[in-house]
Amino acid sequence: MLRGVGTVFGREVGQYFASPAAYLIAFALLLLTGLMFNSDLTFSVTQKAADPALIPSFLSFAMVFFAPLLTMRMLAEESREGTLELLLTAPVSDTAVVLGKFLGAWFYYSLLLLVTLIYQVILAAITQPDLGHAICAYIGIWLYGGATLAVGLVFSSLTENQIVAAFLSMSALLLLWLSDLAGEIIANLDLARLIRQLSLQGHYTTSFAVGIVRAEDVAFYAGIMAVMLFITVRIVESHRWR
Amino acid sequence: MIEVHELTKRYGSYLAVDAISFEAHPGEVVGLLGPNGAGKTTTMRILTGFMPPTGGTARIAGYDVMADSLEVRRRVGYLPERVPVYPDMTVSGYITFWAKLRGVTRPRAQVDAVLERVNLADRRNTLIRNLSKGLRQRLGLAQALVHNPEVVILDEPTIGIDPQQVIEVRESVRELGKNHTVLFSTHILSEAEQVCDRVVIINKGRIIAQGTPQTLRAQLQPGVALYVEIGGLGKEAAARLLREIPGIESVERQGDGFAVRASSDMRAALSDAVLHAGCRLLELRPVAMTLEDIFLDLVGRGN
Repeated sequence: MLRGVGTVFGREVGQYFASPAAYLIAFALLLLTGLMFNSDLTFSVTQKAADPALIPSFLSFAMVFFAPLLTMRMLAEESREGTLELLLTAPVSDTAVVLGKFLGAWFYYSLLLLVTLIYQVILAAITQPDLGHAICAYIGIWLYGGATLAVGLVFSSLTENQIVAAFLSMSALLLLWLSDLAGEIIANLDLARLIRQLSLQGHYTTSFAVGIVRAEDVAFYAGIMAVMLFITVRIVESHRWR
Repeated sequence: MIEVHELTKRYGSYLAVDAISFEAHPGEVVGLLGPNGAGKTTTMRILTGFMPPTGGTARIAGYDVMADSLEVRRRVGYLPERVPVYPDMTVSGYITFWAKLRGVTRPRAQVDAVLERVNLADRRNTLIRNLSKGLRQRLGLAQALVHNPEVVILDEPTIGIDPQQVIEVRESVRELGKNHTVLFSTHILSEAEQVCDRVVIINKGRIIAQGTPQTLRAQLQPGVALYVEIGGLGKEAAARLLREIPGIESVERQGDGFAVRASSDMRAALSDAVLHAGCRLLELRPVAMTLEDIFLDLVGRGN
């Protein structure tokens, strides 16, 4: 099990560093976060205090678009190139293959997250930011990112076409993201609360983003990852029955 | 080494493989021969643990492909018909990946050895996207051999490469037979005849014949075929003359002469009869039926 996960993980991470697309994604993400940080810094000189959760909160929206780009290739390409057939005849379980791929994506995302810590360093150099708050927000967005990547992986396993995979997972993530807003305009309080509880944002904005770590939110993101990975394993397995 | 018993695979209502049984012993090269869509790939996919059979059993080295799938997969090297590659990886990176995934303990040494074996050592740092089709085929073979499996399964390894490379691949399949049990599929009959110790002919999911190429020919060739050319007589008259010889089963015009089938070797009686009728015997020779004829005959009968 571990050998399979480790080998697949290693290949996926290597693949990110070998592919121009991954560098482009990193470039775009860092450019956008840089712009955000810069403008927030300008405001914080005169009008308000700097927001320690600024970058993580921006990422909670950005991941709707970036997670599909990071995962669309993973299983769609394997099934198009026929390598999935070899993976499924290698002496490793389907779960190990899927887990290895997911951890590869999450690892690459974590590296990007680490690079954005530079903004915290800059902030710490010029002012006294609330570090606890920032750490909280980062833990939150790290889990949040894992959940969005797991959703992306499901759609990558569904199709041989990367563009279709990316489009479908963006739609799904946008829906999960927007359901937070939908919760706000529903009159029935119980229903509104339920919808909010199911949204990705709902477990981030009111807790991690304001500097609170709640077990239920951690469990929510971990649960999303587990369910999505389980679905992916089942879909991969279904290739054996076609 | 490979034991297949009453193996059946159904896709919905379509019967792809219909209760086939065959065996391959250690060190044997067995050819699965049949037209496209005969069920060769499906059979192989079941044997590699890729898909479960609908019925029957298949064992490799004593392990059931369903119950002990992982044990089977550890012992099988598989090259699908379309060589599956990661275009962005280097040759050695690709082989190392499969070596590690299949639990090779010292991947570096094994990778070097297998690249040497398929003659790709000088290309080890080339990106796979830059390899030609023939080289990719060798890469696929290297991938199937890197964990030194007991059984090697090759699905139509000679499709779409140039004749020189076809010869190379056939030679390497023969070589493999020395240390591995090899199951390979083809729809080219002369290839099966050249390469295999035993041939299993399948059509529409059923086995229609199996045995060594020699026994297949002996078993299936009905009677003796002769080619006769007679001079000094019209075609019609010559045909009539031949048909009247007792023991001749059929006479068919073929080029300038006739293809004659008989239950036994009739050459002496035939030449006597021709000379007796005052004609000249221009040509008389036995015709060996190729596996090709046998195959077409069998498949034709199946339809």
